[in-house]
Amino acid sequence: MTLFLTALVAGLAVGSVYGLIALSYTVLFNSTAIFNIAQGDLMMAGVLVSYFCLDRWHLPQVVALLAIIAVVVALSLLEERVAVRPFLRRPGIGLGWFIATLAFSLIIETVASNIYGQNPVVPIPGALGDGTFTVAGVHVATKFILAFVVMIVVMVALEIFYKRTWIGTAMRGVAEDREVAALRGIDALRISRLAFVIAGVVTALAAFVVAPIVSSDVTVGLTYGLKGFIALAIGGFGSLRGCVIGGLLLGVAEQMFDLYINSNYEILAALILVLIVLAVRPSGLFGTRAVREV
Amino acid sequence: MNEIAQRLGFGGRTWLRWAIPVALIVVLYIVPQLGGSSQFRLGEYEEVLSFLVIAVALNIAMGYGGQYILGITAVFAVGAYGAILVAKYHPQGIGLLAMCVIGAAIGGVAGMIIGLPALRVGGFYLALVSLFAALAIPTVAQKWAFVGADTGIPLYAVLGYTPKLSGELLYVIVVSLVLLATLFSWALVHSRVGHRFVALHTSEQLATSIGITAYRTKLLAIGISSVLAGAAGGIYVYTQQFFAPGSSSVNFAVLLLAGMVIGGGGSITGPLIGGAIILGINQFFTSLQQYNGIVFGVLLLLFAVFLPNGLLARLNVVGERLGINPPRGFGVPGGRAPIEVAPAGVAAAVAASSVAASAAPVNGSGPGAGLNAHAARQLPPWPPVIGAGDPGALVVEGARRSFGGVTAVDNVDLTVKRGQIHGLIGSNGSGKTTLLNLISRFYSLDAGQIRIGSVRLDDKPPHAVARAGIARTFQSPKLMLRETALENVIPAVELRVRCLGLESVLRLPRGIRVNRQARAEALEILQTLGLHHVLAQEASALPHGTRRLVELARAIALRPSFVLLDEPAAGLSPVELELLAEVCQNLARSGVGVLLIEHNVPMVLSIADTVTCLHQGKTLFQGTPEELRANTSVASVFLGIDEPLETPS
Repeated sequence: MTLFLTALVAGLAVGSVYGLIALSYTVLFNSTAIFNIAQGDLMMAGVLVSYFCLDRWHLPQVVALLAIIAVVVALSLLEERVAVRPFLRRPGIGLGWFIATLAFSLIIETVASNIYGQNPVVPIPGALGDGTFTVAGVHVATKFILAFVVMIVVMVALEIFYKRTWIGTAMRGVAEDREVAALRGIDALRISRLAFVIAGVVTALAAFVVAPIVSSDVTVGLTYGLKGFIALAIGGFGSLRGCVIGGLLLGVAEQMFDLYINSNYEILAALILVLIVLAVRPSGLFGTRAVREV
Repeated sequence: MNEIAQRLGFGGRTWLRWAIPVALIVVLYIVPQLGGSSQFRLGEYEEVLSFLVIAVALNIAMGYGGQYILGITAVFAVGAYGAILVAKYHPQGIGLLAMCVIGAAIGGVAGMIIGLPALRVGGFYLALVSLFAALAIPTVAQKWAFVGADTGIPLYAVLGYTPKLSGELLYVIVVSLVLLATLFSWALVHSRVGHRFVALHTSEQLATSIGITAYRTKLLAIGISSVLAGAAGGIYVYTQQFFAPGSSSVNFAVLLLAGMVIGGGGSITGPLIGGAIILGINQFFTSLQQYNGIVFGVLLLLFAVFLPNGLLARLNVVGERLGINPPRGFGVPGGRAPIEVAPAGVAAAVAASSVAASAAPVNGSGPGAGLNAHAARQLPPWPPVIGAGDPGALVVEGARRSFGGVTAVDNVDLTVKRGQIHGLIGSNGSGKTTLLNLISRFYSLDAGQIRIGSVRLDDKPPHAVARAGIARTFQSPKLMLRETALENVIPAVELRVRCLGLESVLRLPRGIRVNRQARAEALEILQTLGLHHVLAQEASALPHGTRRLVELARAIALRPSFVLLDEPAAGLSPVELELLAEVCQNLARSGVGVLLIEHNVPMVLSIADTVTCLHQGKTLFQGTPEELRANTSVASVFLGIDEPLETPS
């Protein structure tokens, strides 16, 4: 039982990271109708910044957080400019943006491996220290709690932002019809930049909370990016709550797979889960919107 | 003799068109003579060659079919592991061919496992799910002792296993296999199967409107390319005698994609050239490997943004300028087939067309005499072929559909009788196009039913509507822009001129006959509509009015029982408009029921037998044109006047 609960807690913590990435995908998709596969590598870049700030230079946590946000947002804006904006202007068929964002993620990964090398990043001290406390006989690390809380706060903030603010409503409308949005005086390009900034901040937070939990290396970007997508597919496209539930489900499923089946093949948990969800309920658990025809 | 020389292009530069590929193929065969033929070197060449087979496979699914199975390396890896395991446990009697077959079979299954669920959602889901599979399979293999874990399976260490082929002979065979795969992909894309892929890639609505089953066609694209990628796994294993998790990392999938995009997806040779460049650099310039990701990433990004059709499309343009490729869009279609098989009269019209097109239209000088008022009289009948057995009318009963709070179509009844033209008018947003999309099953009904005679359509998938005999055009023409006008019409003919896809791909006797027949019929319909001068032009180069006519030709080519035309007159010139009216009347004369959505009310009133007027989703009026002219409610809604449009005479 203790083993189960420990795995559950760890699953919720890792799942919170998947959920955060899924949330950043949703923010982008709402405003640009593109799916940014480089999001995972943006997070990986944030983890590296966290490593340099905290492990090498021993800077305060707040400085590290600000540095991560600055770097990830800057990279997001660069990506928006070079890999996404050219496609937003261009109507027509194809998934050209998909190739472009994949190319961007390859560039980030290669640059990172040239700066850092192939070694794994050592675990980084968490923002709330490395303490644990015990609930019902289970040791719960504060860094796990932090990940979970950050995800919930981000989700609630985004829900309020989309429902209550004018700009939030505009950001949801743009992807559905760019022309109509333009006619209403909404600057679609500014909106898509803003979406990249918000998604960048969310991803930076994901990097900040994941760095102490999982020891990563420069190749984890694509893995996290794809697992964030799987969280999204499980939860359902377009639903913020779906992202959170999907992320948590995936995280817990992985830990349970480790515990009860075989920890060597953990990655299969996600693959099997997504294939089952797509076969049984293609629109996901909370899916509100069909993915547009391509 | 002179004629042969001319045909081969001597005298101009067009001979380079076949000379360049031939030279490249020769170079490919003698690479070992040029670059060293040690066993190690040969192995490296063969590795790249087996990757090129995957590039060909990826191009079929993605470049032509539009199905982003990016993680095709997962399929390759599974096929390779299958082949090498069989070889490990049954070392005797397994050769190159057996390995390819095993790889192909297992690869096909793996492709289906990835594709079946992911395709239910479509779009980039397939890309991401397959990419995840490409990530997961090597990761799992790394830990799995049965497949040799991290070190992999070395076949050369297996006792009793001796490959029959080796050295330069093996190299020549592998090159031939790559060429064979390329030839297959050419045959495939120039067959009825390939036509379906391109139609689906262009637009799912377009594809289903000519009766293509979207889900099955997507699966077929993925299945074929998976089989090929699995076979590549067999080739890899046989030539390398080894397979390990590192042989197919997820980055390899990205490299393959880069090769295809840079060379040019959707062309036969583009992915080969791009793949050879990228994979070759990756293989032979290992000292720079550290930075390869940056170089390839930047290249991929630049091509995706600036040259989405790839290097080869660019080379073709250069080739045109240098006079190597014949300029597109002039004269009769490329290839000799249509003229040989077309009826003599049509062939004569083609011959005359160059004169007719340049000179002023000459009245009555044959079916291809350009657009003029009299051309229409020569339209041949187009009696229904699909759905002709059932004499029933197309009936819409109590149709309702709302979007959110807006009821776009509200309790509309409508009957389109065979042999009659039913006009559908109404202001923008009155629900006309929605009604059409309901009939086409692009939207589902909230209430009501749609049927032909007593056969319900409203519970059927969209492609079944076309197969029941209903053709349609779109408000903004949907054409395959990179295909010629002729190639845009052929897939519609192929719905009713049928043979097995395999016969068409492999050019079996019936396949050849059917391929030719489809082409000839498409050609004839385009010519009757006076479009002989654009047959070989890419649709992207056609003016708007011509695109509408090509779309109309595609609808007629189905030889349907009913035709739904969505604002076909918008943007047509007066001459084209007259042709359109004649086409509608000719369809009706031939026994086809026409549902004509138009804003051009005078035209509708002059040719329609019945007119329905929609207003805010409801039927405002239904009756003959004469009754409409006398009706005050229509006039008041549209013109704000309380008198009839005009007094009936």
